[in-house]
Amino acid sequence: MVGYLLNRTFQILLTLFVFMSIVFFIVNAQPGDVSNVYALNPDLPPETRERLRDLFGVNEPLWKQYLVHVRNTLTGNFGVSFSNYPRSVADIVMERLPRTLALFMTATVLSFYLGFALGKIIAWRRGGWTEYTSTIGGVTLYTVFTPWFGLMMIWLLGFKAGWLPIGKFLDPELWRDAPTDANAVFGMMIATAVAASVIVFAVFALTKKRRGSGAALIRIGSLAGSLLVAVGIWLVAGTGYLAWDIIRHMVLPVVTLTLISFAGTMLLTRSSMLETMREDYVVAARAKGLPEKDVRDRHVARNALLPVVTSFMFSLAFAVDGGVIIESIFSWPGMGQTLVSAAVAEDLPLAVGAFVFVGSFILLAHLAADVLYVYLDPRIRY
Amino acid sequence: MSERSGDAEALGGGRSPGPVLAVEGLTMHYSTRAGVVRAVDGVSFSVGKGQALGLVGESGCGKSSLALTLLKLLPENAQILSGRILLDGMDIVPLPEERMREYRWSRIAMVFQAAMNSLNPVYRVGEQIIEALEVHVESAREESLRRVRELYDLVNLDPSLIMRYPHEYSGGMKQRAVIAMALACEPDVVIADEPTTALDVIVQDHILREMKNVRAELGMSMIYVSHDMAVIAEVSDMVGVMYAGRLVELGSTVDVFRDPIHPYTRALTSAFPSVTGEKHELTVLPGEPPNMIDPPSGCRFHPRCPYATDPCRSETPPIVRRGGHWAACWNPTGEGA
Ligand SMILES: Nc1ncnc2c1ncn2[C@@H]1O[C@H](COP(=O)(O)OP(=O)(O)O)[C@@H](O)[C@H]1O
Ligand code: SF4
Ligand SMILES: [Mg+2]
Repeated sequence: MVGYLLNRTFQILLTLFVFMSIVFFIVNAQPGDVSNVYALNPDLPPETRERLRDLFGVNEPLWKQYLVHVRNTLTGNFGVSFSNYPRSVADIVMERLPRTLALFMTATVLSFYLGFALGKIIAWRRGGWTEYTSTIGGVTLYTVFTPWFGLMMIWLLGFKAGWLPIGKFLDPELWRDAPTDANAVFGMMIATAVAASVIVFAVFALTKKRRGSGAALIRIGSLAGSLLVAVGIWLVAGTGYLAWDIIRHMVLPVVTLTLISFAGTMLLTRSSMLETMREDYVVAARAKGLPEKDVRDRHVARNALLPVVTSFMFSLAFAVDGGVIIESIFSWPGMGQTLVSAAVAEDLPLAVGAFVFVGSFILLAHLAADVLYVYLDPRIRY
Repeated sequence: MSERSGDAEALGGGRSPGPVLAVEGLTMHYSTRAGVVRAVDGVSFSVGKGQALGLVGESGCGKSSLALTLLKLLPENAQILSGRILLDGMDIVPLPEERMREYRWSRIAMVFQAAMNSLNPVYRVGEQIIEALEVHVESAREESLRRVRELYDLVNLDPSLIMRYPHEYSGGMKQRAVIAMALACEPDVVIADEPTTALDVIVQDHILREMKNVRAELGMSMIYVSHDMAVIAEVSDMVGVMYAGRLVELGSTVDVFRDPIHPYTRALTSAFPSVTGEKHELTVLPGEPPNMIDPPSGCRFHPRCPYATDPCRSETPPIVRRGGHWAACWNPTGEGA
């Protein structure tokens, strides 16, 4: 296992290097450079623009720029953003990446959970009313034009019904006299979520062998407990209302994302379930006299989960870079918007830096998924 | 004329007053797009306590279907049309699924045809046995583990394998584990569907002998299902010969082998005169097993039977009794013929 992890880590570093190089040349293949942005500005004479080009190093030959870029990246220096001068690229990414991750990871997890649960049910009871509605509904949402659907959601839930805030990830009015800044609150929220998931996961792993209502009680208890403790901490810290504001802003984009993507998992789970249901060990499980629910969950769904996990791995990639459209619709200041504005502004360091961060995250997620897969399928041993 | 008349008394070999399992006129069909598959058609037999019945027949004649029907573990397209399955005198055919669950494994357990695949690859083998114990026997985990160790001992498996995954077992080991699993709740009847077909001959031999010993030790009844006469001859007290969903001959192993009545049985026991005159080491029966959707009229064996006469083609054959056994045939072979 350790050898495998080392091997994978090496592969990931290599992939990152190739990725970084490709990104560099693609971004450079765009016509023009950062000085174009000022081309129509009458206050900047041509000499000043030339000075800018010298200053940012874009007058150097491409191969030299590339070497500088490689050296900087290897030493963890992603440079300074041209368009947000003098903020560093790392600083900007660190501010925006968590926002994107929080939004898209929540949506991805929810969508997989919903898709898996529904897929399980419709595979088990074929031809029912549930199958009919969820398949038609799911597939319609899956194929609908995303921007249109996003706008409809905003119009319906935000504008008409007025239940949810429209756009942005916080309410500026509320934050004017806030004791702390949005990013600190955001970081705390992510830390809370991670801590709670670790606790719940550990409890589930520990009660794996126990069956019956006792185990279920412990599990539900741990879930409710960690939720209560989290809420308690936030209330005591006095920043709970700020976290709540962010959560309220997250609801619309998360719900939209979940709705447009769950059908994929649902249909995959369904076909995986139907295939697993034909396995001999399922007949054997039934022959043993296990209750239907145990046959379905412990024997069919557990094994049908494996291909779904693989697809989850790939969705995580989507979770970070597929967000341009959603982030634009919901004015969510995350990585998607950052990438677009960096490309428009010919902000080379920011574009490349953002891509590299996103790429590293995706590869890390894949590594985590590989480890998870080993845990789920005992036949895989490295 | 029905085959049903050839049941209990013909099986006088039973050692106990009432049979543990009695099947009467059991008929099960599959509905398919191509038509109705008559997989089990009016089958009757019974198994006494501690007895071993062997069911033999070519592949596709409905042996596995019959075995699954006994546990009512049928796919959605299957339907039991008629007949009774009496467990200690109680008919389980009308039982609802919920009640049926209590009988499975605790009363009738099964070693599946594809034993290799009847273990779930993602769970440790021991856990899969404990799972069966937990449903039927109220006991603490420690207790269950001790029982599993006992079972592993019984089937000659190293207890250190208990907490291993199926893919860490060899074919023979998996087979033994699956047998141990079938014995877990001390069932009255164990059905073994081609228990050794996938194994090499030596392992097959060992396992058959062990199963025989285990049966003698625990005193339960067994139904062996195989396409291989040699296997059936080695392990069972009684033999039932199946052809195209019907039981065509039934009797004690000694009688059936010494003096087969039905030409099909004769073919299976290698005493079949080859039509082409060639000498076959193992008799190769000419022709194909019949189409189960539209089986031949009269005696279903008639297109392949060298003794076939006119009535064979149109009328259901009568039951012929001889010694301790019976067969359904118009022109019985052997001593009395
Ligand atoms: N689920 C099913 N649906 C339709 N036909 C089936 C099904 N299972 C088995 N059959 C058919 O029933 C017949 C008997 O099959 P089976 O019981 O497996 O025979 P055996 O075990 O003797 O080889 C075959 O013709 C087979 O094609
Ligand atoms: S009834 Fe006729 S066709 Fe059938 S086995 Fe007997 S002799 Fe052959
Ligand atoms: Mg079979």
